Amino acid sequence: MTIAEVRNLVKRYPGFTLNNVSFQLESGRITGFIGRNGAGKTTTIKAMLNMIHTDSGSVYYSGRPLEENEADIKKQIGYSSGTISWYPRRKIRDIVEIVRAFYDTWDEEAYAKYRELFAIDESKTPNELSEGMKVKVNLMLALSHHAKLLILDEPTSGLDPFSRNELLEIFEEVKNEGVSIFFSTHIISDIEKCADDIIYISKGSILAAMEKEVFIQTYSKEGESLEDTMLRLEGGDHHA
Amino acid sequence: MRDILRKEMKLSASMITYLFIPFGLLFLVPGYPVLCSAFFVCLGIFQSFQNACEANDIVFSVLLPIAKKDVVKGKYIFVCLIEASGFLFMILSVFIRMTVFRESAVYRANALMNANLFALANACIIFGLFNLLFVGGFFRTAYKFARPFVSFIAGAFAVIVIAETLHHVPGLEMLNAFGFEHFAFQVSLLAGGIIISALITFCSYRKACDHFERIDL
Repeated sequence: MTIAEVRNLVKRYPGFTLNNVSFQLESGRITGFIGRNGAGKTTTIKAMLNMIHTDSGSVYYSGRPLEENEADIKKQIGYSSGTISWYPRRKIRDIVEIVRAFYDTWDEEAYAKYRELFAIDESKTPNELSEGMKVKVNLMLALSHHAKLLILDEPTSGLDPFSRNELLEIFEEVKNEGVSIFFSTHIISDIEKCADDIIYISKGSILAAMEKEVFIQTYSKEGESLEDTMLRLEGGDHHA
Repeated sequence: MRDILRKEMKLSASMITYLFIPFGLLFLVPGYPVLCSAFFVCLGIFQSFQNACEANDIVFSVLLPIAKKDVVKGKYIFVCLIEASGFLFMILSVFIRMTVFRESAVYRANALMNANLFALANACIIFGLFNLLFVGGFFRTAYKFARPFVSFIAGAFAVIVIAETLHHVPGLEMLNAFGFEHFAFQVSLLAGGIIISALITFCSYRKACDHFERIDL
Protein backbone atom coordinates (compact mmCIF):
# COMPACT_ATOMS: atom_id res chain seq x y z
CA MET A 1 0.00 0.00 0.00
CA THR A 2 1.27 3.46 -0.87
CA ILE A 3 1.64 5.59 2.27
CA ALA A 4 2.98 8.71 0.55
CA GLU A 5 3.19 9.93 -2.99
CA VAL A 6 5.12 12.86 -4.37
CA ARG A 7 3.87 14.03 -7.74
CA ASN A 8 5.79 16.28 -10.13
CA LEU A 9 7.33 18.61 -7.55
CA VAL A 10 9.04 21.62 -9.06
CA LYS A 11 10.83 24.22 -6.99
CA ARG A 12 13.04 26.83 -8.62
CA TYR A 13 15.76 28.63 -6.70
CA PRO A 14 18.39 30.84 -8.27
CA GLY A 15 21.03 28.31 -9.32
CA PHE A 16 19.04 25.17 -8.44
CA THR A 17 15.83 23.55 -9.60
CA LEU A 18 14.00 20.64 -8.08
CA ASN A 19 12.90 19.18 -11.35
CA ASN A 20 9.60 17.31 -11.62
CA VAL A 21 10.28 15.05 -8.65
CA SER A 22 7.91 12.08 -8.35
CA PHE A 23 8.04 8.90 -6.28
CA GLN A 24 5.97 6.72 -4.00
CA LEU A 25 6.66 5.36 -0.53
CA GLU A 26 5.26 1.97 0.30
CA SER A 27 4.00 1.21 3.78
CA GLY A 28 6.05 -0.96 6.13
CA ARG A 29 9.29 -0.39 4.21
CA ILE A 30 12.49 1.55 4.70
CA THR A 31 13.24 3.86 1.79
CA GLY A 32 16.65 5.42 1.46
CA PHE A 33 16.77 8.78 -0.28
CA ILE A 34 20.28 9.13 -1.60
CA GLY A 35 22.09 11.90 -3.34
CA ARG A 36 25.16 14.01 -2.89
CA ASN A 37 25.12 17.26 -0.90
CA GLY A 38 23.00 19.84 -2.73
CA ALA A 39 21.19 17.25 -4.86
CA GLY A 40 17.77 18.34 -3.54
CA LYS A 41 17.10 15.86 -0.70
CA THR A 42 16.28 18.42 1.99
CA THR A 43 14.28 20.56 -0.46
CA THR A 44 12.17 17.53 -1.34
CA ILE A 45 11.65 16.66 2.32
CA LYS A 46 10.70 20.24 3.15
CA ALA A 47 8.16 20.18 0.33
CA MET A 48 6.79 16.91 1.71
CA LEU A 49 6.21 18.68 5.04
CA ASN A 50 4.78 21.87 3.52
CA MET A 51 7.72 23.88 4.81
CA ILE A 52 8.42 25.34 1.40
CA HIS A 53 6.13 26.33 -1.41
CA THR A 54 6.69 24.52 -4.62
CA ASP A 55 6.16 26.07 -8.03
CA SER A 56 4.06 23.05 -8.98
CA GLY A 57 3.35 19.51 -7.91
CA SER A 58 1.63 17.94 -4.95
CA VAL A 59 2.14 15.54 -2.07
CA TYR A 60 -0.35 12.90 -0.96
CA TYR A 61 -0.42 10.81 2.20
CA SER A 62 -2.58 7.69 2.11
CA GLY A 63 -4.25 9.16 -0.97
CA ARG A 64 -5.12 12.48 0.71
CA PRO A 65 -3.56 15.74 -0.48
CA LEU A 66 -1.31 17.37 2.14
CA GLU A 67 -2.49 20.85 1.32
CA GLU A 68 -6.11 20.17 2.33
CA ASN A 69 -5.45 17.85 5.28
CA GLU A 70 -2.23 19.26 6.73
CA ALA A 71 -3.02 19.14 10.47
CA ASP A 72 -4.52 15.67 10.28
CA ILE A 73 -1.74 14.25 8.12
CA LYS A 74 0.95 15.64 10.41
CA LYS A 75 -0.46 13.50 13.22
CA GLN A 76 0.65 10.49 11.22
CA ILE A 77 4.14 11.75 10.44
CA GLY A 78 7.25 11.95 12.55
CA TYR A 79 10.17 14.13 11.48
CA SER A 80 13.74 14.30 12.57
CA SER A 81 16.81 15.98 11.23
CA GLY A 82 20.39 15.18 12.04
CA THR A 83 21.24 18.85 11.84
CA ILE A 84 18.48 20.57 13.83
CA SER A 85 17.65 20.18 17.50
CA TRP A 86 14.72 21.75 19.26
CA TYR A 87 14.83 23.85 22.41
CA PRO A 88 18.44 23.01 23.33
CA ARG A 89 18.10 24.31 26.89
CA ARG A 90 14.73 22.79 27.83
CA LYS A 91 14.47 19.45 29.58
CA ILE A 92 13.25 16.55 27.44
CA ARG A 93 10.49 16.04 30.02
CA ASP A 94 9.20 19.60 29.44
CA ILE A 95 9.30 19.23 25.65
CA VAL A 96 7.40 15.93 25.87
CA GLU A 97 4.81 17.46 28.17
CA ILE A 98 4.01 20.10 25.56
CA VAL A 99 4.15 17.81 22.53
CA ARG A 100 1.83 15.14 23.94
CA ALA A 101 -1.03 17.64 24.23
CA PHE A 102 -1.13 18.08 20.45
CA TYR A 103 -1.82 14.41 19.73
CA ASP A 104 -5.06 12.64 20.59
CA THR A 105 -3.22 9.46 19.56
CA TRP A 106 -0.50 9.93 22.21
CA ASP A 107 0.20 6.61 23.92
CA GLU A 108 1.80 6.76 27.38
CA GLU A 109 2.71 3.07 27.27
CA ALA A 110 4.45 3.45 23.93
CA TYR A 111 6.24 6.51 25.28
CA ALA A 112 7.50 4.61 28.33
CA LYS A 113 8.52 1.70 26.10
CA TYR A 114 10.57 3.77 23.64
CA ARG A 115 12.05 5.94 26.39
CA GLU A 116 13.40 2.78 27.97
CA LEU A 117 14.40 1.18 24.66
CA PHE A 118 16.38 4.26 23.60
CA ALA A 119 17.69 4.86 27.15
CA ILE A 120 16.54 8.48 27.16
CA ASP A 121 17.04 10.46 30.35
CA GLU A 122 14.12 12.90 30.52
CA SER A 123 15.91 15.23 32.88
CA LYS A 124 18.55 16.08 30.27
CA THR A 125 18.35 18.91 27.77
CA PRO A 126 19.03 18.41 24.04
CA ASN A 127 22.26 20.37 24.58
CA GLU A 128 23.47 17.59 26.83
CA LEU A 129 22.69 14.84 24.31
CA SER A 130 24.85 13.37 21.58
CA GLU A 131 23.68 13.77 17.97
CA GLY A 132 22.48 10.16 17.94
CA MET A 133 20.46 10.65 21.12
CA LYS A 134 18.80 13.76 19.65
CA VAL A 135 17.57 11.68 16.72
CA LYS A 136 16.36 9.02 19.17
CA VAL A 137 14.39 11.63 21.10
CA ASN A 138 12.64 12.66 17.89
CA LEU A 139 11.95 9.01 17.05
CA MET A 140 10.55 8.49 20.54
CA LEU A 141 8.22 11.46 20.14
CA ALA A 142 7.02 10.25 16.74
CA LEU A 143 6.52 6.65 17.83
CA SER A 144 4.69 7.72 20.99
CA HIS A 145 1.92 9.28 18.92
CA HIS A 146 1.89 6.28 16.58
CA ALA A 147 3.28 8.00 13.52
CA LYS A 148 2.87 5.74 10.50
CA LEU A 149 5.67 7.34 8.52
CA LEU A 150 8.99 8.68 9.79
CA ILE A 151 10.61 11.26 7.55
CA LEU A 152 14.23 11.62 8.57
CA ASP A 153 16.57 14.14 7.00
CA GLU A 154 20.16 12.92 7.23
CA PRO A 155 19.58 11.22 10.59
CA THR A 156 22.99 9.54 10.52
CA SER A 157 25.08 12.52 9.50
CA GLY A 158 27.53 13.46 12.21
CA LEU A 159 27.26 10.09 13.95
CA ASP A 160 30.21 7.82 14.64
CA PRO A 161 30.05 4.36 12.94
CA PHE A 162 28.87 2.66 16.14
CA SER A 163 26.00 5.08 16.73
CA ARG A 164 25.09 4.90 13.04
CA ASN A 165 24.93 1.15 13.21
CA GLU A 166 22.81 1.30 16.36
CA LEU A 167 20.40 3.76 14.74
CA LEU A 168 20.05 1.64 11.61
CA GLU A 169 19.21 -1.36 13.81
CA ILE A 170 16.53 0.73 15.48
CA PHE A 171 15.12 1.50 12.02
CA GLU A 172 14.72 -2.25 11.47
CA GLU A 173 12.93 -2.67 14.81
CA VAL A 174 10.62 0.23 14.03
CA LYS A 175 9.88 -1.18 10.58
CA ASN A 176 8.98 -4.51 12.14
CA GLU A 177 6.27 -2.69 14.09
CA GLY A 178 4.70 -1.59 10.80
CA VAL A 179 6.12 1.94 10.62
CA SER A 180 7.46 3.17 7.27
CA ILE A 181 10.74 5.07 7.21
CA PHE A 182 11.93 7.52 4.61
CA PHE A 183 15.43 8.75 5.30
CA SER A 184 17.80 10.87 3.31
CA THR A 185 21.50 10.28 3.38
CA HIS A 186 24.66 10.72 1.39
CA ILE A 187 26.21 7.72 3.17
CA ILE A 188 25.81 4.80 0.78
CA SER A 189 26.60 2.12 3.36
CA ASP A 190 23.49 3.21 5.35
CA ILE A 191 21.36 2.40 2.33
CA GLU A 192 23.22 -0.84 1.76
CA LYS A 193 22.63 -1.92 5.34
CA CYS A 194 18.96 -1.23 5.92
CA ALA A 195 17.00 0.19 2.97
CA ASP A 196 14.38 -1.89 1.16
CA ASP A 197 13.89 0.73 -1.55
CA ILE A 198 16.17 3.36 -3.04
CA ILE A 199 15.29 6.75 -4.41
CA TYR A 200 18.29 8.33 -6.08
CA ILE A 201 18.31 12.07 -6.71
CA SER A 202 20.96 13.98 -8.61
CA LYS A 203 21.01 17.69 -9.51
CA GLY A 204 17.35 18.06 -8.54
CA SER A 205 16.05 15.15 -10.63
CA ILE A 206 15.07 11.64 -9.58
CA LEU A 207 17.24 9.22 -11.54
CA ALA A 208 15.93 6.01 -9.98
CA ALA A 209 13.15 4.96 -7.58
CA MET A 210 12.88 1.20 -7.06
CA GLU A 211 13.55 -1.74 -4.76
CA LYS A 212 17.18 -1.95 -3.69
CA GLU A 213 17.66 -5.37 -5.27
CA VAL A 214 16.20 -4.19 -8.56
CA PHE A 215 18.42 -1.11 -8.42
CA ILE A 216 21.51 -3.29 -7.97
CA GLN A 217 20.45 -5.60 -10.81
CA THR A 218 19.75 -2.65 -13.08
CA TYR A 219 22.72 -0.42 -12.40
CA SER A 220 25.53 -2.41 -10.77
CA LYS A 221 28.28 -4.02 -12.84
CA GLU A 222 29.46 -7.44 -11.86
CA GLY A 223 31.46 -7.43 -8.63
CA GLU A 224 30.69 -3.78 -8.03
CA SER A 225 29.58 -2.63 -4.57
CA LEU A 226 26.60 -0.30 -4.22
CA GLU A 227 29.01 2.47 -3.26
CA ASP A 228 31.02 1.96 -6.47
CA THR A 229 27.78 1.94 -8.46
CA MET A 230 26.58 5.20 -6.93
CA LEU A 231 29.93 6.88 -7.49
CA ARG A 232 29.92 5.76 -11.13
CA LEU A 233 26.34 6.94 -11.64
CA GLU A 234 27.16 10.28 -10.06
CA GLY A 235 30.07 10.50 -12.48
CA GLY A 236 27.61 10.30 -15.38
CA ASP A 237 27.93 6.63 -16.44
CA HIS A 238 24.39 5.20 -16.28
CA HIS A 239 25.11 1.88 -18.00
CA ALA A 240 25.37 -1.35 -16.03
CA MET B 1 -5.28 27.12 20.73
CA ARG B 2 -4.67 26.46 24.42
CA ASP B 3 -1.95 23.95 23.48
CA ILE B 4 -0.03 26.32 21.22
CA LEU B 5 -0.25 29.04 23.87
CA ARG B 6 1.14 26.61 26.46
CA LYS B 7 3.96 25.81 24.05
CA GLU B 8 4.69 29.54 23.67
CA MET B 9 4.72 30.13 27.42
CA LYS B 10 6.65 27.04 28.48
CA LEU B 11 9.03 26.33 25.59
CA SER B 12 9.42 29.38 23.39
CA ALA B 13 9.38 32.15 25.98
CA SER B 14 12.47 33.55 27.62
CA MET B 15 12.38 34.07 31.39
CA ILE B 16 13.36 37.69 30.71
CA THR B 17 9.97 38.26 29.10
CA TYR B 18 8.24 37.48 32.37
CA LEU B 19 10.79 39.41 34.45
CA PHE B 20 10.22 42.53 32.36
CA ILE B 21 6.42 42.58 32.89
CA PRO B 22 6.67 44.51 36.20
CA PHE B 23 8.45 47.30 34.30
CA GLY B 24 4.89 48.58 34.00
CA LEU B 25 5.46 49.90 37.53
CA LEU B 26 7.85 52.51 36.08
CA PHE B 27 4.63 54.51 35.72
CA LEU B 28 5.08 55.25 39.43
CA VAL B 29 8.55 56.78 39.11
CA PRO B 30 8.46 60.57 39.27
CA GLY B 31 10.50 62.54 36.73
CA TYR B 32 10.80 59.51 34.48
CA PRO B 33 9.54 59.20 30.87
CA VAL B 34 6.82 56.75 31.87
CA LEU B 35 6.17 55.44 28.34
CA CYS B 36 9.60 53.80 28.41
CA SER B 37 7.95 51.16 30.61
CA ALA B 38 5.90 50.00 27.58
CA PHE B 39 9.13 49.84 25.61
CA PHE B 40 10.75 47.68 28.29
CA VAL B 41 7.82 45.23 28.29
CA CYS B 42 8.28 44.93 24.50
CA LEU B 43 12.04 44.50 24.96
CA GLY B 44 11.25 41.53 27.20
CA ILE B 45 9.04 40.00 24.49
CA PHE B 46 11.82 40.57 21.95
CA GLN B 47 14.02 38.28 24.07
CA SER B 48 11.48 35.48 23.61
CA PHE B 49 11.64 35.84 19.84
CA GLN B 50 15.43 35.72 20.01
CA ASN B 51 15.20 32.65 22.23
CA ALA B 52 12.68 31.03 19.88
CA CYS B 53 14.92 31.56 16.85
CA GLU B 54 17.87 29.90 18.61
CA ALA B 55 15.64 26.97 19.58
CA ASN B 56 14.27 26.41 16.03
CA ASP B 57 10.86 27.10 17.50
CA ILE B 58 9.17 28.08 14.24
CA VAL B 59 10.14 24.89 12.40
CA PHE B 60 9.17 22.84 15.46
CA SER B 61 5.77 24.57 15.59
CA VAL B 62 5.13 24.10 11.88
CA LEU B 63 5.72 20.37 12.26
CA LEU B 64 3.06 20.12 14.95
CA PRO B 65 -0.37 18.95 13.78
CA ILE B 66 -1.84 22.43 13.49
CA ALA B 67 -2.47 24.86 10.64
CA LYS B 68 0.35 27.31 9.88
CA LYS B 69 -1.86 30.27 10.75
CA ASP B 70 -2.24 28.83 14.26
CA VAL B 71 1.52 29.16 14.71
CA VAL B 72 1.13 32.89 13.99
CA LYS B 73 -1.96 33.14 16.17
CA GLY B 74 -0.11 31.49 19.07
CA LYS B 75 2.69 34.08 18.86
CA TYR B 76 0.25 37.01 18.70
CA ILE B 77 -1.82 35.75 21.64
CA PHE B 78 1.34 35.24 23.68
CA VAL B 79 2.59 38.73 22.83
CA CYS B 80 -0.78 40.33 23.64
CA LEU B 81 -0.97 38.41 26.91
CA ILE B 82 2.43 39.72 28.03
CA GLU B 83 1.52 43.24 26.92
CA ALA B 84 -1.78 43.03 28.81
CA SER B 85 0.08 41.84 31.92
CA GLY B 86 2.47 44.79 31.70
CA PHE B 87 -0.50 47.07 31.07
CA LEU B 88 -2.15 45.86 34.30
CA PHE B 89 0.89 47.09 36.24
CA MET B 90 0.60 50.42 34.43
CA ILE B 91 -3.12 50.68 35.25
CA LEU B 92 -2.34 49.93 38.90
CA SER B 93 0.36 52.63 38.94
CA VAL B 94 -1.92 55.19 37.27
CA PHE B 95 -4.71 54.40 39.72
CA ILE B 96 -2.33 54.97 42.66
CA ARG B 97 -1.16 58.27 41.15
CA MET B 98 -4.74 59.38 40.46
CA THR B 99 -5.90 58.64 44.01
CA VAL B 100 -3.31 58.29 46.79
CA PHE B 101 -0.73 60.61 45.19
CA ARG B 102 -3.06 62.97 43.34
CA GLU B 103 -1.77 66.00 45.29
CA SER B 104 1.80 64.80 45.66
CA ALA B 105 4.18 67.71 45.01
CA VAL B 106 6.82 65.49 43.43
CA TYR B 107 4.35 64.35 40.73
CA ARG B 108 2.80 67.81 40.30
CA ALA B 109 6.22 69.40 39.73
CA ASN B 110 7.08 66.82 37.07
CA ALA B 111 8.26 68.42 33.81
CA LEU B 112 7.64 65.15 31.99
CA MET B 113 4.18 63.82 31.16
CA ASN B 114 1.95 62.68 33.98
CA ALA B 115 1.11 58.98 34.27
CA ASN B 116 -2.59 59.30 33.52
CA LEU B 117 -5.13 57.72 31.14
CA PHE B 118 -3.57 59.58 28.20
CA ALA B 119 -0.23 57.93 29.07
CA LEU B 120 -2.00 54.55 29.14
CA ALA B 121 -3.45 55.30 25.69
CA ASN B 122 0.05 55.98 24.39
CA ALA B 123 1.33 52.78 26.00
CA CYS B 124 -1.39 50.92 24.04
CA ILE B 125 -0.22 52.55 20.83
CA ILE B 126 3.38 51.53 21.56
CA PHE B 127 2.18 47.94 22.05
CA GLY B 128 0.23 48.18 18.80
CA LEU B 129 3.37 49.43 17.02
CA PHE B 130 5.35 46.54 18.47
CA ASN B 131 2.79 44.09 17.10
CA LEU B 132 2.78 45.83 13.73
CA LEU B 133 6.45 46.62 13.20
CA PHE B 134 8.21 43.89 15.14
CA VAL B 135 5.90 40.85 15.26
CA GLY B 136 4.47 41.53 11.79
CA GLY B 137 7.97 42.27 10.47
CA PHE B 138 9.32 39.06 11.97
CA PHE B 139 6.74 36.95 10.13
CA ARG B 140 7.89 38.34 6.78
CA THR B 141 10.84 35.94 7.07
CA ALA B 142 10.25 34.01 10.33
CA TYR B 143 13.94 34.33 11.16
CA LYS B 144 15.04 37.99 10.84
CA PHE B 145 14.18 39.93 13.95
CA ALA B 146 16.84 42.65 14.22
CA ARG B 147 15.53 44.98 11.50
CA PRO B 148 11.89 44.76 12.66
CA PHE B 149 13.02 45.59 16.18
CA VAL B 150 15.01 48.61 15.01
CA SER B 151 11.87 49.80 13.16
CA PHE B 152 9.90 49.38 16.37
CA ILE B 153 12.50 51.33 18.38
CA ALA B 154 12.17 54.23 15.92
CA GLY B 155 8.37 54.09 16.06
CA ALA B 156 8.19 53.76 19.85
CA PHE B 157 10.54 56.66 20.49
CA ALA B 158 8.63 58.82 18.04
CA VAL B 159 5.46 58.15 20.05
CA ILE B 160 7.28 58.85 23.33
CA VAL B 161 8.73 62.15 22.06
CA ILE B 162 5.39 63.30 20.65
CA ALA B 163 3.46 62.29 23.77
CA GLU B 164 6.01 63.97 26.05
CA THR B 165 5.84 67.17 23.99
CA LEU B 166 2.11 67.53 23.33
CA HIS B 167 1.06 68.65 26.83
CA HIS B 168 3.48 71.60 26.58
CA VAL B 169 1.62 72.87 23.50
CA PRO B 170 -0.72 75.73 24.49
CA GLY B 171 -4.30 74.47 24.62
CA LEU B 172 -3.35 70.84 25.15
CA GLU B 173 -2.57 71.10 28.87
CA MET B 174 -5.50 68.87 29.74
CA LEU B 175 -3.61 65.93 28.25
CA ASN B 176 -1.52 66.14 31.39
CA ALA B 177 -4.50 65.98 33.77
CA PHE B 178 -3.94 65.00 37.40
CA GLY B 179 -6.30 62.92 39.53
CA PHE B 180 -9.77 62.86 37.97
CA GLU B 181 -9.47 66.20 36.15
CA HIS B 182 -10.95 66.14 32.60
CA PHE B 183 -11.92 62.57 33.34
CA ALA B 184 -14.34 62.05 30.42
CA PHE B 185 -11.77 63.45 28.00
CA GLN B 186 -9.05 61.24 29.47
CA VAL B 187 -11.28 58.14 29.28
CA SER B 188 -12.05 58.88 25.63
CA LEU B 189 -8.30 59.15 24.91
CA LEU B 190 -7.71 55.80 26.58
CA ALA B 191 -10.57 54.18 24.66
CA GLY B 192 -9.14 55.64 21.44
CA GLY B 193 -5.69 54.25 22.27
CA ILE B 194 -7.08 50.78 22.97
CA ILE B 195 -9.16 50.76 19.77
CA ILE B 196 -6.22 51.94 17.62
CA SER B 197 -3.93 49.36 19.17
CA ALA B 198 -6.45 46.56 18.67
CA LEU B 199 -7.01 47.54 15.04
CA ILE B 200 -3.28 47.76 14.32
CA THR B 201 -2.73 44.38 15.97
CA PHE B 202 -5.56 42.71 14.07
CA CYS B 203 -4.33 44.07 10.71
CA SER B 204 -0.78 43.01 11.57
CA TYR B 205 -1.98 39.50 12.50
CA ARG B 206 -3.88 39.09 9.23
CA LYS B 207 -0.89 40.22 7.21
CA ALA B 208 1.50 38.02 9.23
CA CYS B 209 -0.69 34.94 8.54
CA ASP B 210 -0.59 35.79 4.86
CA HIS B 211 3.21 36.26 4.83
CA PHE B 212 3.88 33.17 6.90
CA GLU B 213 1.78 31.03 4.58
CA ARG B 214 3.90 32.16 1.61
CA ILE B 215 7.47 32.01 2.96
CA ASP B 216 9.82 29.05 2.68
CA LEU B 217 11.25 27.78 5.98
